[in-house]
Amino acid sequence: MNLSNLSILGLASDRMQWLSARQKVTSENVANASTPNYKARDISSFETMLKGELSRGDGLVTTHAKHISGAANSTPGVRTMEDPSAVASTLDGNSVNLEEQSIRAAEISDQYRMAAQLYRKGHDLLVMAVTGNR
Amino acid sequence: MDTLQSIAKIAASGMTAQTARLRVISENVANADSTGTTPGEDPFRRKTISFAEMIDDATGGSLVEVDKIGRDQSPFRRDYDPSHPAADETGYVKRPNVDPIIEMANMREASRNYEANMNMFEAGRRMRGQMLDLLK
Repeated sequence: MNLSNLSILGLASDRMQWLSARQKVTSENVANASTPNYKARDISSFETMLKGELSRGDGLVTTHAKHISGAANSTPGVRTMEDPSAVASTLDGNSVNLEEQSIRAAEISDQYRMAAQLYRKGHDLLVMAVTGNR
Repeated sequence: MDTLQSIAKIAASGMTAQTARLRVISENVANADSTGTTPGEDPFRRKTISFAEMIDDATGGSLVEVDKIGRDQSPFRRDYDPSHPAADETGYVKRPNVDPIIEMANMREASRNYEANMNMFEAGRRMRGQMLDLLK
């Protein structure tokens, strides 16, 4: 991971985009907590997004030539997939654990706050550099 | 529509679905004693509800919708009560196949799920607020 070509503002804004995409998937899991045969989902790591391994069309995994990516609304650089850590399954084939998803949502919220504060700090630094005072 | 806004839509679909579930549960509980009125007539048959995933075209998010409301095909309970208007020629009355314990457990689960969706909505809104605060 090469951090030198990333400004603090760019990094913080990427992080915020990634966290919103993850929060969206978490809310989908919570909404579908009683849907039969629904499997809990998660998104690819933030590191993958930074490395730029996935482009805009990679939102969904395509396993057949005729599959469409359907990524018009997805966040670039992020892929949604089945959550590998969700093992608990009920009789109706649903693998969403409501407690786990709630904790994840709280974590994402906190991390988002941190990223937003970082963005603000970066901005303050710029202002300080330009004006010489705050 | 941005990602954080779509969270509100997803959470709302979850809450709507859980409300429909709660409605079916209350119908079952309300009719737990609704027997027939003519000899041998079937009493109230318990309703069931199931959900399905639905992809929202506008946001690409997976919403949840009510798939179908069906009827529980399990057998009715039979009580001996010859003076009841719905008693058949042997004196037995068919009672609804509603089990209050199951309905209560179901109700708890529906309200927990509703709360969880509400929390997701709040979390999304808070994140959006923090993002908008950067404009200050």
